[in-house]
Amino acid sequence: MSLGPLAAVVSQIAPLVDPSALLATGGTVDGLQTAARVLAEGIGKGAVYFTIAVGLTLVFGLMGVLNFAHGAIAMVGAYLGGLVLVLVVGANTGTLATILVFFVALALVFAVTTAAGSAMEVALIRPIYDRTPTYQILLTFGVSLIIEEFARIVLTLRGIQPNPQWQAPMATAPDVLLGRTELLGIGVRRLYLFEIAIGALVAVAVWAFLTKTLYGLYIRAGSEDTEMVQALGIDVRQAFTVVFGVGTGLAAVGGVLLMWDPIWGPSVLLSVDVLLYAFVVVIIGGLGSFTGTLVAAGIVGIADSVTTWLFTTGIVTFPGLSEVTIFLLLVVMLIIRPQGLYGVEEVGGH
Amino acid sequence: MTALELDGVHTYYGESHILQGLSLSVDAGEIVALVGRNGVGKTTTLRTALGLTPPREGTVRFGGTDVTGMEPHEIAARGMGWVPEERRVFSHLTVEENLRVAAHSAADPDARTAESYELFPALDRFADKEAGDLSGGQQQMLAIARGMVGDNDLLLVDEPSEGLAPQIVEDVVEALRAASADTTMVLVEQNFRLAMDLADRFYLVDHGVVVEEGETAGVTSDDERIRRYLTA
Repeated sequence: MSLGPLAAVVSQIAPLVDPSALLATGGTVDGLQTAARVLAEGIGKGAVYFTIAVGLTLVFGLMGVLNFAHGAIAMVGAYLGGLVLVLVVGANTGTLATILVFFVALALVFAVTTAAGSAMEVALIRPIYDRTPTYQILLTFGVSLIIEEFARIVLTLRGIQPNPQWQAPMATAPDVLLGRTELLGIGVRRLYLFEIAIGALVAVAVWAFLTKTLYGLYIRAGSEDTEMVQALGIDVRQAFTVVFGVGTGLAAVGGVLLMWDPIWGPSVLLSVDVLLYAFVVVIIGGLGSFTGTLVAAGIVGIADSVTTWLFTTGIVTFPGLSEVTIFLLLVVMLIIRPQGLYGVEEVGGH
Repeated sequence: MTALELDGVHTYYGESHILQGLSLSVDAGEIVALVGRNGVGKTTTLRTALGLTPPREGTVRFGGTDVTGMEPHEIAARGMGWVPEERRVFSHLTVEENLRVAAHSAADPDARTAESYELFPALDRFADKEAGDLSGGQQQMLAIARGMVGDNDLLLVDEPSEGLAPQIVEDVVEALRAASADTTMVLVEQNFRLAMDLADRFYLVDHGVVVEEGETAGVTSDDERIRRYLTA
């Protein structure tokens, strides 16, 4: 076998890797501390990815609908949350009051988008359940484009550039969330700790809803076999409306969480960026699996964090390393385990 | 009183015409068996009664009410239970959760669940175990218990002995007998002897219509009128 093509690839990649940068890093920073910091930041990113992806996986699990408008809804959440903060928080607003406003924004955005999502399910998705998935994909993709264009029009009318990020909400972030804090000797960004806390809250709330309520029980049963659930006297279509609404609301909550994030922040481009990461997480975790989404979000978050560190320290000079790595993870998963880490075999159809 | 009545029912899967004017009637309190070869429309008859595969023509009455065209959950909520072919328990839910999903329509879900455990003690032992980890016989018990736990007046039971060892089949038969004490039952069963043992009456189905019917007492698969429809 000729090694010619492989050698060509290696020769292309080699200039992008700088081993001396790695040695320099190891010489100036304690290796274990750096690893712990990168790990903590990865978990922070994972918390954000989980918050965004969990709604997508809930909707697919019960309804079999791949909602391509999920990212657009997260983008709307980021703008709506930002709007509340910008309108309410002023220069004299204290840290505690700002965080309180953040939670009020979170609740408001969740309520509004959950209601909008439920209405969308009844008006648009319900009439096409009996058709092939292609219809649902085209419809939700169309809704996504409409939301994006509508956002562009509204933002332009308000004198806000749709891209890049809207900076005004970022300026409302309280000082307590800026900078780093020492945690067991590791300097971790406070914003990541905040995102981990919110992600954990969302995870506990969704877990409690799924395992401690009768409605959650119906949803878990329906994720396995919707026809059987109907045959037990449960109105599955009503459950579809509730779950699509909650899934939409969770997407928007993820958007609110991104509002203060310097990497993401409110912008119309967020719609596509977030959707891609959410799809990667739910496919690696297993479509419809809550646990899978949690684990996959952690894996993707840590992979993102490690590759970002490799780039920022100059060890690898290829700027798209993070995206390439995450999509490579997706490809490898699809090859070795197409149903994902915790994917279940579908029974009874949707 | 008539519990279930199908009158001139025509049911299709796509363009395949499965039930071709099938009619039958089940009185309250009796066990009625549907027998016949594979693919003649027995399972489709149960699915049609429950609204899972609605008929294009004909009428389905349940407890005297015309339920034709109603959604399956509406018919089920009126007291029609289903024990499907291949059990279809929720494999990632525990035994307890499988019963709780079904018990929602009962007047007292906790009491009904407790009664299920009394009737099927094996299930009580595995209450916290995922249904997917149970043996085939235990899953069948769970499927029957799940069908009964919702205070149902009528139970549609599809191939309860399929794939089970003979000793387990005996346990399942006992469970069905216990269930029939306060529930009307329509039973689809390939095992002709078992069906005749359990049921009060039978309908012999062929090519989507009823070709023979009568009391089960004294009927064997050697009867000429039965044999020619059961052999390929």
